[in-house]
Parts: sequence; structure tokens; C-alpha cells
Amino acid sequence: MNVPIIDPLQGDFPEVIEEYLQHGNMKCIAFNRRGTLLAAGCADGSCVIWDFETRGVAKELRDKDCIAPITSVCWSKYGHHMLASATDKSLTLWNVVNGEKIARVTLQQTTLHARLHPGSCTPSVCLACPLSSAPILVDLNTGSSTVLPVSVSDAGNGTTAPHQRNKFSDGSPPFTPTAATFNRYGDLIYVGNSKGEILIVDSKNIRVHAIIPISGGSVVKDIVFSRNGQYLLTNSNDRVIRVYENLVPRKGAAKELEAMRSLDDEFQGIEKLKVVGSKCLVLFREFQDAVTKIQWKAPCFSGDGEWVIGASASKGEHKLYIWDRAGYLVKILEGPKEALIDLAWHPVRPLVVSVSVAGLVYIWAKDYTENWSAFAPDFKELEENEEYVEREDEFDLMPESEKAKELDINQDEEVDIVTIEKDSAFSDSEASQEELCFLPAIPLPDIPEQQDKCFGSSSKLEDSNHSGSPFSIEAAQNGQAMLPTSSPLEVVGNSTAEEVMGTTGLKRKRRPSAKGLELQAEKGRKPLTKIKPSAKLSKSKNKHGDGLDTNGFVFEDDVTDEYL
Amino acid sequence: MAAASTDGGAAAATHQPYVLRETLVGHKRAVSSVKFSPDGSLLASASADKTLRVWSTADLSLCAELSGHDEGVSDVSFSADGRYLCSASDDRTIRIWDLATAAPLKTFTGHTNYAFCCSFNPQSNMIASGSFDETVRVWEVKSGKCLRVLPAHSEPVTAVDFNHDGSLIVSSSYDGLCRIWDSATGHCMKTLIDDESPPVSFVKFSPNGKFVLAATLDSTLRLWNFSAGKFLKTYTGHINSKFCIPAAFSVTNGKYIVSGSEDNCVYLWELQTRKIVQKLKGHTDTVIAVSCHPSENVVASGALGKDKTVKIWIQEDEDQKEAE
Repeated sequence: MNVPIIDPLQGDFPEVIEEYLQHGNMKCIAFNRRGTLLAAGCADGSCVIWDFETRGVAKELRDKDCIAPITSVCWSKYGHHMLASATDKSLTLWNVVNGEKIARVTLQQTTLHARLHPGSCTPSVCLACPLSSAPILVDLNTGSSTVLPVSVSDAGNGTTAPHQRNKFSDGSPPFTPTAATFNRYGDLIYVGNSKGEILIVDSKNIRVHAIIPISGGSVVKDIVFSRNGQYLLTNSNDRVIRVYENLVPRKGAAKELEAMRSLDDEFQGIEKLKVVGSKCLVLFREFQDAVTKIQWKAPCFSGDGEWVIGASASKGEHKLYIWDRAGYLVKILEGPKEALIDLAWHPVRPLVVSVSVAGLVYIWAKDYTENWSAFAPDFKELEENEEYVEREDEFDLMPESEKAKELDINQDEEVDIVTIEKDSAFSDSEASQEELCFLPAIPLPDIPEQQDKCFGSSSKLEDSNHSGSPFSIEAAQNGQAMLPTSSPLEVVGNSTAEEVMGTTGLKRKRRPSAKGLELQAEKGRKPLTKIKPSAKLSKSKNKHGDGLDTNGFVFEDDVTDEYL
Repeated sequence: MAAASTDGGAAAATHQPYVLRETLVGHKRAVSSVKFSPDGSLLASASADKTLRVWSTADLSLCAELSGHDEGVSDVSFSADGRYLCSASDDRTIRIWDLATAAPLKTFTGHTNYAFCCSFNPQSNMIASGSFDETVRVWEVKSGKCLRVLPAHSEPVTAVDFNHDGSLIVSSSYDGLCRIWDSATGHCMKTLIDDESPPVSFVKFSPNGKFVLAATLDSTLRLWNFSAGKFLKTYTGHINSKFCIPAAFSVTNGKYIVSGSEDNCVYLWELQTRKIVQKLKGHTDTVIAVSCHPSENVVASGALGKDKTVKIWIQEDEDQKEAE
């Protein structure tokens, strides 16, 4: 994907909602390593895998045992496996390629976040963070689990003394919510506990190597690494997101820490751990909203670690805050009036995906302004009027001086047409491992007769034949038809698009954000009905790429009514 | 094999000539396109007689005849796993065929004029098609939905191609331009234009996606470095001023450019030196289609109405004087 002529400003952040995806009631999302597939866990226990390039459903993972809502999904490193945790206290490991369940483990408590070990291609170990107790390492093959330490006891120091705020009034054991994450290669686990400390635990021998106290000492709700493992962020109850720089080398991190421990003989016990900790993580930045002091939800880094995004956890709000690494708040994105429940930044492109409480997945992207010099290379775009002063001999008739140009090109230079350049964004891909970037697209056969089966069938999601877009059926019908009619109303009547628009199950729509519509209105364009056969209509409007029209995205009439 | 590329003068001498192996007869009208499957086991040919024929490369027998289009077929393309074929036809549709059952699977409607060219992307979840309605359409294979309509050109679009990782689409047109598009977003990335703009009849990415081979109707083939916007090599000597004749890269045994020609021959040029190393004679009408086998030294060619055949050319191993 790293092609030199693609706009270098791609390392940027999104601005508007480009599209939304709808398929059942989605609760949590995860991108695969390259961002070509998006997995979404649904409220009915199934997982949907979207082909992100075509924005269509590539696969559904269903099993009769898995019917409880999914709380988190996680891909294995090369995308062959996926782990889903559900509210019935289970963890299910799926084989993505054939859609079958590999293993299923039931724990004592419901897991909020489950993460597969990132170091291996066929991971069998995962980290599960339950809602109200310490994180555990679960072996998916044997079902055994190991509880991770959340605090270190020392002579005189309180061990699991609960934080004041978390005590229940009836004296029952309080929450000790903890967040945990693997480091990049999975040999270390970073645990954020309820006392506001980060513990670095070795994932093999479960020893605490280091402690880093966070100032303020409030409960850590989330702890997330950037994609390259260079930065770590914590989201604490004191409404501050802190970014730390990871000083430990990425490979062989556990060994490094072991070495550090044994070197330092000055301190003992907790003090020693803190000293080691100070060599591992260094506070880099703090992000907070000084004005409204909102709690944050689902913070994460951009793919290149340049930006940090956090969602407002205030009730009913769908607001995304984006900061750059220098600490400045660069953008606040406001979405529809549905609370946000999950958020993910695309690993490579400046795209953000957010899940709303209504079960829809919104895709935020850059607002694209057409690059006119791409269409006509001789033309240079000017910011403002420039006075042109012509040369003395500009309009003289010059004989024959142009022909020499062709000979300038040295045609004898060797040209290499076969070597493919390595993609620098994914430096740790081992050539021997086959990475799953795409699921094979099997074309759904056109159904020649009536499409009665198709609409209103959210309940029919198990029949994969019908989960495709209804437009394919239209296509068969109209396959033999001649020129499509130019009147949109007539075409709507023809197909069942009208009714399908009302249903929740199957197709995806594009709903422009309020800003998008504003811009549209400015340019005086009318949104078009989105019907496939009306190519003539869309063609005549889209042909001479007007800036906003984004090459053929057509909007629906009925949707815009809600906004205007 | 390495010797071929370095020594300019000796290039023609070290090239092992292709000879005719077989002539495949069967189409009732002009052949418009031939393509090898990605694994090389099948050869597909499209024809103005509204059918597609699939031949086995091993014994050159006919495997399947696919009919269903209402008008002549202009282009055919295999999916990456070789299971599906897509074809572009004058009946304004693109069709997908399942090769296992030799039956049509899906029809994509939307173009408002002849569909002229089509191509699967390497992941085979999308198909790009170019048409006489001056647009390039990107379709989703699974559902048949038209994902994008690119306002590509101001004249009929003559060729579309994806690069090796599917991130870019190149399109060419009679308006003299080659345009490069980002397949994920549909935005135009680059336009390749030369001083005079003869109609561009064909365009294709090189195997590594860094260069673009463009054929123009002034009997010239050019290899462009599209990021720089300049062309690096020019291949001439053939005749191409009327038809959209595709060219191909032959990389199995030395690097060559292969193209058909309106003088009924198939031309082979050495990539680096640009010299013509061989002219394959045998067809009795314009050679309108060529394709190179992905792993063996086999070239397939198809010709227009007076000929109606597909010819298979191979390199003889026995009777060559040089070692390599």
C-alpha cells in the first residue's frame, strides 16, 4: 500500500464521516494487522468480518453455542485466528479462513477485553481482562488460567488495600478494575492497576519486573501500546490520558528487564522495581480537557503513532478528540447523537472507525478535495492570483527548436520490471509466514426470480446467500434491460430499494455528516438516489469530477431529510 | 538467462525463437482477447461471436464454451485463484462465470455503452471495467454492487489494469491520456501525457507495479515511470493504428515485450535494448490479442475475422546453438 505517488499527506487525521456499515447490532471492532479486514462482534454472539476495501461483508462467524453479546474481538498476528469474548464468560477462538470454532473456554467472569498473544502466528495464550478483578493469562488449549499480580506486596506496604473510591457501601469486595496489554512481541505484559501504577510483568514466569507509579494514583482504565511499540498510553480515572515513551528495546524486552534487575543491587523490593520502572517508561505527554474535564473512553494511537484519539465518555455523546504528539488538541469530531462504545484507528490510513450504541459502525475519513493537477499535469494550482509577466520572446515564432526534446531521455538505461519493493510500514513481516489479508470473495449468484427473500430479512442472516446486497438481484432482473431510465422515481419503483432502505439487516448506506451536507448545499448539488442501474443519472452528474462528489458516492434522498 | 539482458548486440542471437505449436480453431467470428489463467493451466479466449472459450494448456483441448452475452465479447480476465472469469461485452454488461460449472454467475449492469475492458484485482474482490461511456467502474465481486464510477476520460476507455497489490488502477483512452487511480478511494493520482497525444489503445502495469506499458495508435509502445511522469523506453517497428492491441511482459526466460500487430505478426522486443528479436508469422489477419504464460515460455495470440483462430507458440528447447 505504500506507493510513492499516493499523497504524502496521508499521515493525517480524519475529518468527516464517510460512510457507515450496518449488519446486525455491532458492539466492538478490531482491524487486522494491515487494515484490510475489520472484525466486529455483535450482540447476537456472531462476529462479522468486513472486507474494508469494498466495505462489504466478507464472512460471518457463527456458532450455535455462541449467542451471548460479544465484548471484544482480537486478531492474531497474521490474521488467521480471531478471539472473541462474550458476556456469558466465554472466550472463543475462531479460525477465520474456514469460519470454524477452534476452542472455547469459559472463565469465572465475563471478560471485557481479550487479547491474543501477539508474538506467535497460531497463538494459544491470551490475556483476558475481566470487569472486576485482576487480568488473567488463559491457555486456550488447556483452559488453564493464571492470575496476574496487580500489585506488589512488601513489608509494611498495603497489598490489595482497595482504593477509597471503589468500596461498595455494603462492604462487599470492591471492583479492582485493571487494564492490561501485551507489549509488541508478547514477552511482557503491562498492567495498570487501581492504585494508579503500571506493573511490567513477564508473561512467561509471571514475575513483576518493574513498577511505574502514575502521578495522581487514580484507577487505570485503559492501557494501550502504539503499533510500533514505541509509545504507551494510559487512561486514568482522573480524566487524563498519559502518553509514555517506551525505553525498553522492542525485541528481547523481557531479557533486558531481567538484566536490569540483577544489575541494580542498591535497592530492594518495591524501590528496586520502581527504579527499574523509571528506566522503562518515561512520561511524555498528558492530555485532558481542561474545560469540561470529561472522562475518556477507548483511547488509542494512530497507525504511525503521530496522533492520539480519545472518545468522550459522557452520556450519549459521540465525540472524538484528536491530539498530536506535541500535545495540542487538533480536532474534535462530532458524530451522530448515539453514544460511542468502541473506537479504532486504521493501521495505515488516516481513517477512524467508531461504533455507536445503535450497533452501527461509522467510518471517518479525510475530507478530500480533488487534486486537479493529477488530472492535468501541466496545470499548477494557485492559491491566489498571480500576475503573469511574459518573456520578451514569448510570442515570437520559433522554428524547429522543440524537436530536440525527445532525445534527452536515455533510453538505454536498464529498467527493472520485476523486483517488488518491500513495504516499509510493515517491517516485521516474516517472509515465511503467510499473512491473511483478504478472504476469498465468492460471488453470490444472481437470483433470477423475485427478490421476496431479500428484504426485511435481518433474521435471515444465517443464510449467507441472502446477506449480499439486494442490488445484485436487481442486476439480474435488469440484466437484459436496455438503457436505464433517467427518472429516479421510476427506478425506485422498479426495485425493492424503497423497502430495503427501511430494513436494518442487509445493505450499507452512506450517510453524510452534518458538515458534509452543509458543503453539499453550498455547492448547490442535489443528492441522488442510489440505484445501481441509473448509471446515466450518476454519470452525468459525476462525470466532470466536481470536488465534493467524490467520484461516484451517491447519497440517498430519504436520509438527508433527517438532517435538513 | 542472464546473458540476454546485458549484451545488446548479441540479444537477438541468444533469443530462442518461438515456433507455432498449435492453432486452436472454433470461434465463429473474430477473436478479441486471450488470457492465461494465473496458474497457467487454462487459456481463455473471447470472441465477437458472443462466446468465451476455455482451453486447457496441457493438451490444448477445449474445456468449456461459455455463452450468455447478447453481443460480442471484448475482453476476458481470470480471478487470482483461477476459479472465475469476468468478461466485458458490447451488451453493456460485465459477467462473471464460474469455471467449475461453466455457468454464468453474475451480471453487472451499469455501463451505458459498450463495456470494453475488464480486470480482476489481485485479491479478486473487485473488478474494474472500462467502457465506451468514458467511465471506469469498480464493482464488488461478492455482491455485484458498483462501488465506484470514476469519471476517467473524455473518450472511450480502452484498457484498465490493477497493479500487483491492487492499490492502483491505470486506465487509458482514445483521448490520449493514461490516468492512475487510487483503488481504495477512487481519487486520481496521476495523468500521463505526452506532447502529442495519439489515442492510447492499451495500458498495463509492469509486474512490480513501478512502470506502465502504454500502446498508442501511432505504432508505438512506451514504458513509463509513472511516478516521474516520464517514459523510459520506446518500442516500434510494428503497425498499430486502428485496433486496440494489447501487449504483454514475458519474464519467464529473459525479459521481453510481446505485442500483436496489424501486419498479422506477433512482435517480440527485448526489454532493455528495445530491439525486435522475433516476428511470429502465421496469422492471416491482425493479431488483436496476446498473452504470456505465467511460468512457461508459451505465448498465445488471437486474430481478427479473417483468421478467427488462437495460436499457441512455444520455445523449442532442442535445436539451439548457444548454451544460454
